[in-house]
Amino acid sequence: MTILVAEDEMIMLKTIELRLKKDGHEVISCQDGREAILKIGEFSPDLIITDIMMPFSSGLEIIETVRKKGGKKIPIIVLSAMGQENVVLEAFQLGADDYITKPFSPNELSMRVKRYNPSSVIL
Amino acid sequence: MHGSFIHIFFEMNAYKFISAIYISLLALVLLFVFILGMVIYKKSIERKRKMWRDPIATIISQVIFFTEEESETFDIDFGNKKLLQNDLFRQCLIEEVIHARKNLTGTATTNLKKLYEILNLDKDSFKKVNSKRWHIKVKGLQELSVMEQVKYVKPIFRLTNNKNELVRAEAQSALISFYGFPGLRFLNITTYPISQWHQIQLLNNLNGPKPDNLDSIKKWLRSPNESVINFSLKLATFYNCYNVYESVINCLQHPGIQVRLGALDYLKKMPREDTPEKIIEIYPSGNKKIKLLILDILKEAGTEKQLLFLLKQLHNADNDIKASAAKTLSCLHPLGTAFLQTHLFADENPWKAIFLQIETERAA
Repeated sequence: MTILVAEDEMIMLKTIELRLKKDGHEVISCQDGREAILKIGEFSPDLIITDIMMPFSSGLEIIETVRKKGGKKIPIIVLSAMGQENVVLEAFQLGADDYITKPFSPNELSMRVKRYNPSSVIL
Repeated sequence: MHGSFIHIFFEMNAYKFISAIYISLLALVLLFVFILGMVIYKKSIERKRKMWRDPIATIISQVIFFTEEESETFDIDFGNKKLLQNDLFRQCLIEEVIHARKNLTGTATTNLKKLYEILNLDKDSFKKVNSKRWHIKVKGLQELSVMEQVKYVKPIFRLTNNKNELVRAEAQSALISFYGFPGLRFLNITTYPISQWHQIQLLNNLNGPKPDNLDSIKKWLRSPNESVINFSLKLATFYNCYNVYESVINCLQHPGIQVRLGALDYLKKMPREDTPEKIIEIYPSGNKKIKLLILDILKEAGTEKQLLFLLKQLHNADNDIKASAAKTLSCLHPLGTAFLQTHLFADENPWKAIFLQIETERAA
């Protein structure tokens, strides 16, 4: 799967990137929302994992842009900090499919990603 | 003669004036050089930090996924090993490790802790704890706390009674993050007040299961430090400690209003048969807040025995107390609100407004 990860914190970005690469995915990394929106148009990923608070364009703006564009339905997983329930709800209203709260385990993320992989079988 | 004096006077003043201008200019130039130096220094630090951010992130993300075998050897390639002796690099590393630690859970955190210890970053954090400047001390304490460095508990414990409020608050939080409820043993020695805000923070950090032994709360309820009693009352309420009831009743006689309010909060949650008469005893000496809280507790804990007391409160000059007593009466009297309507002049103010409020609340 080609997965676009938008996260402004370098360590988190690298960690997610490494985990997903270990799982055999192709990863497109972005450190801000604007870059993410551009790369989504360019690469048309199979899955988007986005943080909410990011410079230039937030995760919510990414969801809004992707959903407004229409076309192929790209699943979106939101990364949120503890206590951002309202933002998560807003993300769902805009069309997010799933969310993970920080702090999270990279293995948990890996399992969640599997749910959106058509080639993997979840029992 | 007179003319030459004036001439000398002006000549001297002109000399002084020019000297003053020179000195001011020199001071300005020095100030400018200093500011420029600072800006260049800060920029160079920022540049270095930016330069290191990427390699540090790569190292940390690798460490996070170390298997058990890999984490035994912890073979990490730092490239230039001299970097590890650079204080600024080490500080960047600490910040990033802590940042990752806060955002991740599971085995990743164990590996991060190992990395922190293997590179002796804990010693850097502890050096900060020994600093004379309070904000550096606080930073060191936060680092040791996040990285669960329980081995530094002794010096951290000593700081729980530090004269600086932020230092002791951080040290107290660190102890709770290490041990949970047993970490509260600093309450035995703390002589400085614990702010209401920090008390809430401490309670929030006590997120583990209910401890088996809560006997210490009884001892803290007799502390000479009023804020310790106040916090212990919050603890007793938080943990539903039934066995401290007598000690809480004693707190009703405490001169501190916050302590009495705390005791009343406990009694509201865990009343006993004798609670109404105990709280009515302190009613006359309480302020308005205490009186209102007592009337509110009676709503749940009171019986018909308190009706006479409540009827007297209907004649209180304060309308809030009148209203609260009326509400409690409507709960305790067998006739409910109907009793109030027969007893009082229902069409007169403030009773008209009070009845309306009671009726609306009941309907809701």
